[in-house]
Amino acid sequence: MMTSVVESWIESPLKRFVEDAEVDLALLMHPSGQVLAQHGFARSMDVMSACALAAGIYATSAELGRMLEGKPFRGIHQVGTERQLFLAEAHSPRGAYIFVTVFGAESSLGLVRLYFDELVVRISEAAPPEGPAPEPALTEHFERDLNRNLAVLFGRA
Amino acid sequence: MSLVNYATREITCKIVYYGPGRSGKTTNLHYIYSQVPEDRRGNMVSLATQTDRTLFFDFLPLDLGSISGFTTKFQLYTVPGQVYYQTTRRLVLQGADGVVFVADSQARQREENIESFQDLHANLSEQGVDPRSMPLVVQYNKQDLPKDLILPVSELSDAINFRGVSEYSADALHGPGVFETLRGISEIVLRRLSAGGSSGAASSAVSR
Repeated sequence: MMTSVVESWIESPLKRFVEDAEVDLALLMHPSGQVLAQHGFARSMDVMSACALAAGIYATSAELGRMLEGKPFRGIHQVGTERQLFLAEAHSPRGAYIFVTVFGAESSLGLVRLYFDELVVRISEAAPPEGPAPEPALTEHFERDLNRNLAVLFGRA
Repeated sequence: MSLVNYATREITCKIVYYGPGRSGKTTNLHYIYSQVPEDRRGNMVSLATQTDRTLFFDFLPLDLGSISGFTTKFQLYTVPGQVYYQTTRRLVLQGADGVVFVADSQARQREENIESFQDLHANLSEQGVDPRSMPLVVQYNKQDLPKDLILPVSELSDAINFRGVSEYSADALHGPGVFETLRGISEIVLRRLSAGGSSGAASSAVSR
C-alpha cells in the first residue's frame, strides 16, 4: 500500500497510525477538501473525490451539530457490511484538518479512536511553525503551457 | 487555497461554479467531463436530488498536465443554486481559488442572477475573503435560446458584472463558451499563483 503526503512532517504520524490501528485507508485533508496525506489509494483522482466527499460530510455534520447542540459533532462513525468509516477533526498549530479512515475486521472503532487521539498529539508535536511564504511556483510565461494542455484536454490541439 | 507541493512539483487548485438555480453550472461540468480524455479526469461526483437538482455539490477532478514543470490539477465544484441552500454554498466556497459565476441569460432570470451574484460576494466576505481579491469570471449561459427570451450580453454585463471581470457568452449544453470560460478562470488563478499568491505547502515527501 502506498502512503503519500504533501507535507513531510505528516508522513511519520500517519504511517504510525496506519500500522498501529491496522486500517485500510487513511486521509488527512484541509477542511476545503485539499488532500494533505493519504494511505491506501492507488489513483490520485480517487483521492481527490474521496476528499471532496469527506470534507462535505464533515462540513454538513458540523453544521448539523451546531444546529442541534450548539457545537459541532466531534466525530462520525458509519458502519458498512464489511468495512467501517471514522471521520473527525484534528487540530495542530498549523490549523484544523479533517481525518478520515476506513477499516475492516482487523481493527475496531475503539482501536481507531485510541490511535486517532495519539495521531492528533503526534501531528501537533511534529507540525513546524509557519515558514516564510514560498517562492512563486510558476514562471511568468505559464500561459503557453496552459493553453496547450487545455487544447489537448478538449481535443483542440 | 492552492496546494503547491514543491518536492513532487504538483499544484492543486479549487474552482467553484456559482450561480442561480438552473443556470447551467452542472451542465458546464457535464460538458467538460464528456470532452476530456478518461486518463485526465476522475469520476464526476454528483450529489443530486431525484430530479437531478444539485443537492450539495458536483465535483470533477481534472489533470491539466504539466505547466511550468508542475503537474497541475484542478478540482471543479458546483454549488446548489436554489436560495434555501445558502449554508451549503458557503461550505463549498471554503478554500476556493477561483469562481466561475454562471448567469442565466433568460430575461426572466435577471433578478435571480443579480441576487446570486450579491450572495456570492456576501458569502466570500463572511469567510473573511475580500471578494475583490478572488479570481472571478462571468459566463452568460443559454445564449443559444431564442433572442426574444434572452438578454444581450451587453445588458447582462450592465446588470451583473459591476466588477468588470472577464466575461464569456456560452451554450453549456452544446459546448460553445465552456472551454473559453475554463481557460479564462485557469489563467487568472495560475497568474495569481505565479505572482506568489499561494498559501500552499512548502515541502513534501512520498514514500512507498
